[in-house]
Amino acid sequence: MKADEDLQNVGRVGLPLAPAFNWSVGNWMEQFFDGLKERKIMASKCGLCGRVFLPPRMICERCFAKTEEWVEIPETGTVEAFTAAHVRVGPDGELADLPEPQLIALVKHDEADTLLVAGLVAKNASAGMRVRVVWNETPSGALDAISCYEPMD
Amino acid sequence: MNKEVAVIGYAQTLYEEDADASREMLTLRAAREALVSAGLKREDVSTVVTATNDYLDGRTISNMRTVEPSGASQKDESKVEMDGAFAALYAIMRILSGFHDVAMVIGVSLASVYATYLPGIMILDPTWDRERGLLNEVSAAALQANCYMREYGVSDEQIASVSAKNLDNAARNPLALRQMPGLSVEQVLDSRMLYSPIRELNAWPATDGACAVVLASGKTAAKAEKPVWVKGVGLCHDSYLTERPLAVMESLKLAAEACYKQAGITDPASQIDLAEIHENFAHEELMAYEALGFCEEGKGGELIESGITQIDGGLPVNASGGALGANAVCATGLARIAEAAMQVVGEAGDHQVPGVKTALAHGQSGPCAQDNVVFILGGD
Amino acid sequence: MRDVAVVGVGLSKHVSKRRDVNIAELVWEAVSAAYEDAGLTPGEVDGVITGNMPAFEGVNLPECWGAGHWGTYRKPLLRITTGGTTGGSVGHGAFYAVASGLFDTVIAIAFEKQSDGDSTAGLNTVILADIAALLGFGVDPSLLLAFGGGAVGIAVYQASSYMKSSGCTTHHLDKVSVLCRTNAAKNPHAHLQQPGLTPDDVAKTDLMQYPLRFGHVCPASDGACAMILTTGERARKLTDRPAYIRSVASCSDEGALIGIGGSGTLNVDPGRQESCKLAAARAYEHAGIKDPRNEIDLAEPYAPFAHQLLMFYERLLLCDEGEAPAVLNSGSMEMAGELPVCPSGGVISTNAIGASALERIAEAAMQIMGRAGEHQVQKDVHKAVAHGWGGMVNLNVVAVLADTPRG
Repeated sequence: MKADEDLQNVGRVGLPLAPAFNWSVGNWMEQFFDGLKERKIMASKCGLCGRVFLPPRMICERCFAKTEEWVEIPETGTVEAFTAAHVRVGPDGELADLPEPQLIALVKHDEADTLLVAGLVAKNASAGMRVRVVWNETPSGALDAISCYEPMD
Repeated sequence: MNKEVAVIGYAQTLYEEDADASREMLTLRAAREALVSAGLKREDVSTVVTATNDYLDGRTISNMRTVEPSGASQKDESKVEMDGAFAALYAIMRILSGFHDVAMVIGVSLASVYATYLPGIMILDPTWDRERGLLNEVSAAALQANCYMREYGVSDEQIASVSAKNLDNAARNPLALRQMPGLSVEQVLDSRMLYSPIRELNAWPATDGACAVVLASGKTAAKAEKPVWVKGVGLCHDSYLTERPLAVMESLKLAAEACYKQAGITDPASQIDLAEIHENFAHEELMAYEALGFCEEGKGGELIESGITQIDGGLPVNASGGALGANAVCATGLARIAEAAMQVVGEAGDHQVPGVKTALAHGQSGPCAQDNVVFILGGD
Repeated sequence: MRDVAVVGVGLSKHVSKRRDVNIAELVWEAVSAAYEDAGLTPGEVDGVITGNMPAFEGVNLPECWGAGHWGTYRKPLLRITTGGTTGGSVGHGAFYAVASGLFDTVIAIAFEKQSDGDSTAGLNTVILADIAALLGFGVDPSLLLAFGGGAVGIAVYQASSYMKSSGCTTHHLDKVSVLCRTNAAKNPHAHLQQPGLTPDDVAKTDLMQYPLRFGHVCPASDGACAMILTTGERARKLTDRPAYIRSVASCSDEGALIGIGGSGTLNVDPGRQESCKLAAARAYEHAGIKDPRNEIDLAEPYAPFAHQLLMFYERLLLCDEGEAPAVLNSGSMEMAGELPVCPSGGVISTNAIGASALERIAEAAMQIMGRAGEHQVQKDVHKAVAHGWGGMVNLNVVAVLADTPRG
């Protein structure tokens, strides 16, 4: 169409925008973070259906009830699935190659009903393998307290 | 549903890696061509529902600039911030309410102007996963693929054959971005590994493009040249990705059940002639086969091996090339509706499947296909 | 057409900063209050419509992570976001969901947690690309300074334009703030509660940009609103006095952010808001209201800036253009007046942006249901109009509610 031909060579501008976000994590996650700083894994439990949320959630989505009970979860769990990351998302939001593949695991901790995602350091990784938490020796806070998982034996 | 709402027009822009156009121009192009396809004028449209995402647009209130190019000026306009297929469902709701007669639905995005994977990361739990830095759309999908493969013994080759099929089909669709005629399973398995088992050719390509669909009430559609009736719709949201079993698409299953009930579908594999599935990643198509009841649970890999879902098979899936062929986020699911309607009308050209009377269209939103919407479309 | 009615409303308390809860948990407060108000449980609801201003908190599609807190487990869910009108658009979506016959009972959920993000930066993304482009074309940066004020930068042009056309003075603006903030003092969910506020107090607040002072402008709030809608038939079983939504209409006008700093273009004046008049006219017509001035008992216009309460009162066709300042002086807009306006305290007292336009509908519903407590107006409310405004100064949404269904 003629109008479109007139509209070629569309210009692009970059957005010089860096808004600051400052999320409240809420009291449930605060308790989780406080636990992690002491190398304790705290999960919340629904008093109605018994589901254990890790990370903790204030509300059980199935029962629509507050999860008032807290349980300390073992450091051990099972790999539900893992992926070998050959890339990562760089600061520019695009995929960049990693020098060496790194394993990322979806882990179901013993006694928990939901899953955590973390790195996995293992020579012969397999789904279903038993793993334990490797704590970060020099964490900068709660978010990086769990360094990764390693095989139990 | 019995002749209450129909698709009466559709249009897609060319899907490109880097379109020489703004979102507004793509919106205008799709809207104008969809009106031509419907044989209507802008004045005939009473409501416009757009599907855009503020993070993909890089500005808040992403719909405000689409008012003029979508033809919504001084009309009843709204925006669904999900895939355009969900916007189509909202438009259907608006028509069924009796308040609106003709609706224009548009989905658009320009991947060439946003940081491809950041908007997906911004969906993650901001109190935990997002800050942990490991999950993104692709790594999350890879974990889902591994859960699925482990649960049902699905192989890399079976997943790769979805890519081979869809990208070969895409070569027959002049609008598709990634056209790879004769692509083999081996070639897919040789493509760049991203997160195992997801390789470049198992994942959606960043795409610029737009799709528009015109919907009308039964009364108006009856006068249209080629109405494609909406026989059923179904919609469902699932739990966050670390809080649900990832080996099955439960919300797609529930959406399909609701949709089939309305459409009177009791045996999907025999009653549906063609399906357009929104597969962001190849394994999702296999999981969708199961959730949509095309085969038993865990038998998606066997179904693709049987050849039934090939373009010349008994139940062709993604004759257009699907989302692996082109994925302009927010337009992709809507394009599945446009493609399904086009097949029913018989206007699909080189990728036309003969004798399509009943077609299924699917759209998804959220990481690991968290939200799903399903439509059954039919000629009479 | 199917009758649709509101059977339950829930609001969180609105404050500047809720650091004890995250976004999902804050929203739960409103959702659980709505269920309690309706006497229903999530299992009795078959659809969810939700939305907020996405860029403000930096969380894309927040329901993907947060909706588990809102009783949405494996339910149909639609996310509708349209800027300042988001809450209204969510309410309209919930209305259409029930009216379509596809859903029987749905919950509308809208929210904003402004303290988690940067709303001014968020709002500026609306025009940042344009600014960058204009600078690239060599436009003098000093001309672009007026862009910098987020929504306030736009509102001052609109206020001046409206004042010129209506004869509204800054004194009227002061009185609007007093009307709203003293009403807010009676609303336990409101953010800025200022009992005993006087026009003089407002006039003494700092001037932001003429004609708007700090006292004329909304606060940034953390808050959420939820509303449960169902069929007329079911509503009558649940409550003696449901609030029927008789009609909804939205209208999108040409964007007015084109001139320098949002001063408008030759063909669009941000003070005109023709789209509000069109939406109102359509909504009244569908609702079977022929004479809104006499038939409407209560109005909840969306007014984050003082002049907008008067401007939208006119654009909602509740008086002649230019008459609203006189109506304000007459006392008719007060709680005990003939046509009370913003008994909730309005957006100028409470603004969790994504929730605000839903809160207008929620307040109208509460007033009709007689559930507004201390801020219940004196007169019996039979018909009410609820409004939302936003976009590039160009989107307006209107809902008409009543104590009886459409005839």
